[in-house]
Amino acid sequence: MYLSLNWLREFTPYEGSAEDLADRLTMLGLEVEEILRPFAHLKDIVVGRVLERRPHPQADRLSLCRVDIGQVHTLPIVCGAPNVAQGQLVAVARPGAALSDGKEIRQTEIRGETSRGMICSEAELGLGEDSEGIMVLDGHFLLGRSLLKIYDLDDHVLNISVTPNRGDCLSMLGLAREVAVEFNLPLNIPSARPEAWVVEEGASCADNVTITIDDPDLCPLYQAGIIQGITIGPSPRWMRHRLLAIGQRPISNVVDVTNYILMEWGQPLHAFDRALLAGERIRVARAREGQSFTTLDGRERRLLATDLLIWDAEKPVALAGVMGGANSEVTRTTTDVLLECAVFNPICIRKTSRRLGLTSEASYRFERGVDQPGSRLAMNRALALIRETAGGKMMRGVAASEPRSWQAPRIIFRPTRAQKILGVALAPEFCRQKLEALGCDVNAEDAQAWRVLPPGFRLDLEREADLIEEVGRCHGLDRIPATLPKTARSLDWLESLAPDTDFRGKIKRWALGCGLTEVINYSFISSQDLTLMGLDREPVIALRNPLSEDQNVLRPMLAPGLLQSVRQNMTQGNATLRLFETAVIFLSDLAAETGAREPSRLGLALTGNRYPEAWPWPAEEVDFTDIKGCVEHLLGHLRLPEAVYVPLAEHPLCLPCAAVSLGGENAGWVGRVKPHLADYCHIRRGLFLAELDLNLLQRLCGHGRSAFRALPKFPPVRRDMTLIAPLDLAYSRVLETIRAQAVDLLRESILVDRFLPEGQQEARLTLRLTYRHNERSLTNEEVDQTHHGLCNSLTTLLPVRFS
Amino acid sequence: MSASGSDLGVGLARDLAQDPAQDLDALVPELEASLTAAGSEQELEAVRVQFLGRKGRLAGIMSGLPKLALDQRPAVGQKANQVKTKLQELLDQCLARLERDKERAALSRFDPSLPGRSAWQGSLHPITLITQEICSAFVSLGFDLVEGPELETDFHNFEALNLPPDHPARDMQDTFYITENTLLRTHTSPLQVRTMLRKRPPLAAIAPGKVYRRDSDLTHTPMFHQIEGFLVDTDVSLADLRGTLTAFVHRIFGPDTVVRFRPSFFPFTEPSAEVDISCMLCGGTGNCAAAPCRVCKQTGWLEILGCGMIDPAVFTAVGYDPEHYTGFAFGLGVERVAMLKYGIGDLRMFFENDVRFVSQFA
Ligand SMILES: [Zn+2]
Repeated sequence: MYLSLNWLREFTPYEGSAEDLADRLTMLGLEVEEILRPFAHLKDIVVGRVLERRPHPQADRLSLCRVDIGQVHTLPIVCGAPNVAQGQLVAVARPGAALSDGKEIRQTEIRGETSRGMICSEAELGLGEDSEGIMVLDGHFLLGRSLLKIYDLDDHVLNISVTPNRGDCLSMLGLAREVAVEFNLPLNIPSARPEAWVVEEGASCADNVTITIDDPDLCPLYQAGIIQGITIGPSPRWMRHRLLAIGQRPISNVVDVTNYILMEWGQPLHAFDRALLAGERIRVARAREGQSFTTLDGRERRLLATDLLIWDAEKPVALAGVMGGANSEVTRTTTDVLLECAVFNPICIRKTSRRLGLTSEASYRFERGVDQPGSRLAMNRALALIRETAGGKMMRGVAASEPRSWQAPRIIFRPTRAQKILGVALAPEFCRQKLEALGCDVNAEDAQAWRVLPPGFRLDLEREADLIEEVGRCHGLDRIPATLPKTARSLDWLESLAPDTDFRGKIKRWALGCGLTEVINYSFISSQDLTLMGLDREPVIALRNPLSEDQNVLRPMLAPGLLQSVRQNMTQGNATLRLFETAVIFLSDLAAETGAREPSRLGLALTGNRYPEAWPWPAEEVDFTDIKGCVEHLLGHLRLPEAVYVPLAEHPLCLPCAAVSLGGENAGWVGRVKPHLADYCHIRRGLFLAELDLNLLQRLCGHGRSAFRALPKFPPVRRDMTLIAPLDLAYSRVLETIRAQAVDLLRESILVDRFLPEGQQEARLTLRLTYRHNERSLTNEEVDQTHHGLCNSLTTLLPVRFS
Repeated sequence: MSASGSDLGVGLARDLAQDPAQDLDALVPELEASLTAAGSEQELEAVRVQFLGRKGRLAGIMSGLPKLALDQRPAVGQKANQVKTKLQELLDQCLARLERDKERAALSRFDPSLPGRSAWQGSLHPITLITQEICSAFVSLGFDLVEGPELETDFHNFEALNLPPDHPARDMQDTFYITENTLLRTHTSPLQVRTMLRKRPPLAAIAPGKVYRRDSDLTHTPMFHQIEGFLVDTDVSLADLRGTLTAFVHRIFGPDTVVRFRPSFFPFTEPSAEVDISCMLCGGTGNCAAAPCRVCKQTGWLEILGCGMIDPAVFTAVGYDPEHYTGFAFGLGVERVAMLKYGIGDLRMFFENDVRFVSQFA
């Protein structure tokens, strides 16, 4: 909302600076975003008189003028406008002056003739649309005076961000009321001008139009006024300037008046060309489902039965509260006008405006609520202004239907409650004075519980809390003291806290220590990516209104996001990546309250160098053992038992791929990304991914409780064995077989070497077995005996032999 | 031939005849001379073989022992042992010297400026770092962490927060919908509702998380991070909110930061306020070295969070008696704090995940 200080001063005598006003309004909850000087460029535009005009010797369309700007020397100016004439008072831009578009005027030579300035059009000065001819000034002005002075355009305009609850501040009057309250100034509300309010001019308006309202909920008040015999033309200069100052384009006297009243009172109006209305009837009724209607912007709109229309005796003529119809628009030839001043249901207007993507100054205000009691005043003022600017005869009175009058809510205001909420004691007299200045009717007979009636323009004041906010706001929220609350807490509350954040913190600390870099990807990905990644077989959760096709489904796995991160880094030339992400994924679950489960996942991605690219590290590339090592390291970090890794033949993203299983539960997977997806990520080398179920890990960690085990008292004895095994024998089978022997003394078996002799289909696996007795030292003999026994069992149970 | 042969024989005989004890004594200075020349372990070994080897000088002298008179033999034998010990001692000393030299030489080549075998550096995303910092500030003020789903119901995200359908304030939060009734949460405020539905006051909690709005341009990303905080008890006032947030701002931005409370509007709080802090770049003056400050756009203030006293309608929606309980709530954008703290200019960098960017912070 733009607030013109000149306009404001019509209502309240604010004499301070624009900057101070901006600060105070901001601290009152009306945030001023910028201070504009819309006509500042007119400072250097001065009044001049055309003393002489003769044709340019070299160009038919140009004139040579001599212009007097009240100085000793007159200015020679070459002018291209057809309407320039001797004797005219004109607006002159001297060399050095700037036009509204910022273009600076210089002394030039045009076809051999010197031109020391420019005679300006309205468009060039930002004072109107007219660019055909120069602006001719009507009236008597001193030569050389600035246009800023003669038209009183030295204005400041504040651009104010008005919160959605403050519909009343979408008008000069509403803002003036706030200024008056803040600065303790009087507020002068303009009334309809009695001298223009000639009631004898014609028939009664109510006799000439019948108003029917189908549903009072949707339209509690409809007023119509009629003026006949008007002349459509430009509105007076002062009105055009006011509108221009706040960014409104002047159109014609009648339309400008409706805009002027909208800006001044916050009451939207609509003017119909009465000649285009059929019958002498106005009906406010819903649209027919599927009906089409052309709004005055020329666009055809398809309507629903929930949309509200204004109908004449035959047809719809306006989309109520949003935009008029093209079929009844005021044009240059209009002579009779029917002026609508109504109140519409905010929700109804909002639904229509949102659905059609059609927001107007009118709908914006109706959505936020307009002042029903005040709309009669606005109507009267509008009619008076139309008559003043467009002439004509006004029918007597105003036709009105008000099936539902506005009732102020009765609010109890307790000063003690205000103190309790605000944490500061405000004097009752202060509260009362401010509430009254804001327009409330205050009855403080009961000093503990005042009865307050808010005004019709403050639809946001409904409850005591709203009034407490008002007195707090007037006192200044920034002047309330700062204290620390005593935070009492209950024991059962503490126990119910979710430790998820803590667990994720633990995972993140592990990853940090592991030399992984955290990434955060969008939760949405494209359905195309899902297809590319073969993830489209499961039902995914799709957005109904995505911003783009790139982000239209929620990811059912972290991997697609990680692959995006890899891809983006590759395009930047970051070829070695060690990434991790912790986030929830989204799985459809119709039984869940929100239709989805959001399990927590950890994703890992490795590619490029195994070690930092620096001496003394060897230059090696990561392979499967690196990503699996990360997974093992994490499980070890969490002191979880060893996982089982089983080949997964059917994984959408990875091949080879292994399922990670913990105590029989699926904890995730780890693998090498398939070549076509690696290509998609611009990777030629290996790219390895892992994804783990953090909820499961957290559950298995059991709130992170670790148990102490006594340290062994007796020394271990170690024995190595080297098995010669066929290549297709999984190492896990060797381990399982060893464990299955349940050898009492065996404490640990570690693979210390794996050697693949060239040209043979066999692997040499060297295992180091640790034996220990808990109660005594072992003798070499008994270890040897046990060890050999184990070796013999292996050769019988597995296709292995010993060298 | 015979003459020369006899010469040799005579010479040997004479040597032996002379005095083996004397010969033995001569070995020591000879060895000392040889050792001075020995510069390496190989040379030292050669010297050892020359003197103490099976066919060395000592062995040569000792081989003449049987020719001596019987009474002379013990003395010479004893002498020989002494010399042998001495020789061994000299050799050992020489070996020790050589080792010392070697070590010294090695030390002189030691170059600690060569790189160490340093492992990969890990890094946490700036959003994680700032979230942790903010949460720990509030945890130290007595707030507990809570979490909730990112996919929400209309009830938790809007209705219970005093945002009925078709409320104009829903415009402030352009929403991604999944179904008519479910959506991606547009703020972390549903956590207020969920927590209050689950628990009775007193409660003080903080809820960090991802939120989503249907908006994407230079200053908006469709996903970002918020931290919601709220405290409910029987006697909580706006002054307590001011105190809590002032303490928080001083923790995060330093004790000299000025905090400003400006009235605003949120449907779920009443009164509502926006909190500005003095611009850390220009110190609140609006200008940096006579140039307009680009961070605060010359206002001297930076908007940092929204807050207010929990609206009675929210209490009613969760079944609390709004006459009995009062409370405050606040919400802040993590990206915004991270940008201010780290001096990051471009919001979109947070989710491009360029490792050169995300690994800059600690
Ligand atoms: Zn600044």
